Amino acid sequence: MYDLVIVGGGPAGVAAGVYAARKKIKTLLIAKEFGGQSLVSADIQNWIGVKSLSGLELAQRLEEHLRAQEGIEILDGDSAENVQKLDSTGFRVTAKSGKVLETKTVLICSGSHHKTLGVPGENKLNGKGVVYCSTCDAPLFGGKTVAVVGAGNAGLEAVRDLFSYASKIYLLVRSDKAKGDPVTLEEVKKNPKLEIKYQAEVREILGENMVTGVKYLDKADNQIKELKLDGVFVEIGSAPNSDLVKDLVQLDQGGQIMVDSKTQISSLAGIWAAGDVTDVLYKQNNISAGDAVKAVLNIYDYL
Amino acid sequence: MAKVTIYSTPTCVYCKMAKEFFKKNSVQYAEHNVAEDDAAREEMVQKSHQLGVPVIDIDGEIHVGFNRAELERALGLK
Repeated sequence: MYDLVIVGGGPAGVAAGVYAARKKIKTLLIAKEFGGQSLVSADIQNWIGVKSLSGLELAQRLEEHLRAQEGIEILDGDSAENVQKLDSTGFRVTAKSGKVLETKTVLICSGSHHKTLGVPGENKLNGKGVVYCSTCDAPLFGGKTVAVVGAGNAGLEAVRDLFSYASKIYLLVRSDKAKGDPVTLEEVKKNPKLEIKYQAEVREILGENMVTGVKYLDKADNQIKELKLDGVFVEIGSAPNSDLVKDLVQLDQGGQIMVDSKTQISSLAGIWAAGDVTDVLYKQNNISAGDAVKAVLNIYDYL
Repeated sequence: MAKVTIYSTPTCVYCKMAKEFFKKNSVQYAEHNVAEDDAAREEMVQKSHQLGVPVIDIDGEIHVGFNRAELERALGLK
C-alpha cells in the first residue's frame, strides 16, 4: 500500500511529486503525460525563474525534475479513472490500463480539459474541421474561411494563430463583449481578415464529411443565421477533470473539487486536490505548483 | 523495420513529441509538413479521414494523435 498516490503530471502533480519524494513519503504518481495544459503553448513567459520557454520545454523540465527524485514511482502513459474508498482506511485507485493501486491518501491534480459546445455536428466533425488545438492545426487552414468560437484569451490567441494562414476569420462571441485581454483584442481587431460577431450563439455545425458551416442564433434580432466555413475553432474555456472522485467529494456547480485553501483538503479526509481541478480562483501554473506543495506538506502532517 | 511516415505541422507539439519518441527509439521515419505540402495534406486526409495532426502511418496502420503506448505496440517496442 502506498502512502500517497498523486494523479496528474502538470505543474501541480510534479511539484507534489518532488516534495513528497523529499519527505520520503511512499508515493506513486500516475499521469498520461507531463506538462499539463500549457504543453501546447508556443511560448510561456510567466513561469517564475525562466524568461521564456515553450510548453514542451516546460513539460520536459518538469519530467526531468521529477525523475531526478529518489524513491518515487512513476506510472506515465496511463491515467486514473476512478477512486474508491476502502472499507478499512485508504483508497483504491483504478487506472485506465486496469492497474489497481491502494493508498492511504490521494492528491488529485488532474487539471481540466477543453469544453465542447455540445451542439449537433460537433462530435461527428471533430478533426474534420472542428478544432480544439489552434496551435496544432491552424496551419492546415491556409487560404480558408474559419470561425473561432469564444473570445477569452484562448479564443483571441487562436485568432492570432490563424492570421498567418486563413483568409477570413469570424470571431463568434456569445455576449456583447469579448472577455479576453483588452491589449490582445485591440491588436487582433486591427487585422482586416477578422470580423467579430457579437451575441452569436452557435447552434449547429454543418457538414457531412468536412465542416461546411455553422448555424448560429443572432441574439440581436433573434434570427437563426448561417455562415459558410471550412473550419470551426472551439475555444470556450475548460472544465475540470473531476469525474474520478465525483461520488466521493464535494464539487461546486462547475464540477470543481471544493478545497480548503489553507490545506487543499477536500470534503473527505484522505483526499486532497490542487491546481485547475479545484475551485481555486485563479488558474495559473505557478499557483498550481504552490497549492500542490501546500497539499503535500499537509498530507505529511496527516500521515 | 516498419515503414513510418508522419504528417505534421511545424507548430504542433504532439508532432514534436512523436518525433522525439522515434529518435529515442531509433525509429527511421519520413516526414511531410502538411502546412505547406498540399499533396501530402490530401494524402493525409485520404488515409485518416480527418484533418488533425499528427497522423502517423506505420506500415499502413494509421494513428491519429500521439499515443506512446499505441505506437510502442504498433512498432513492437514493448
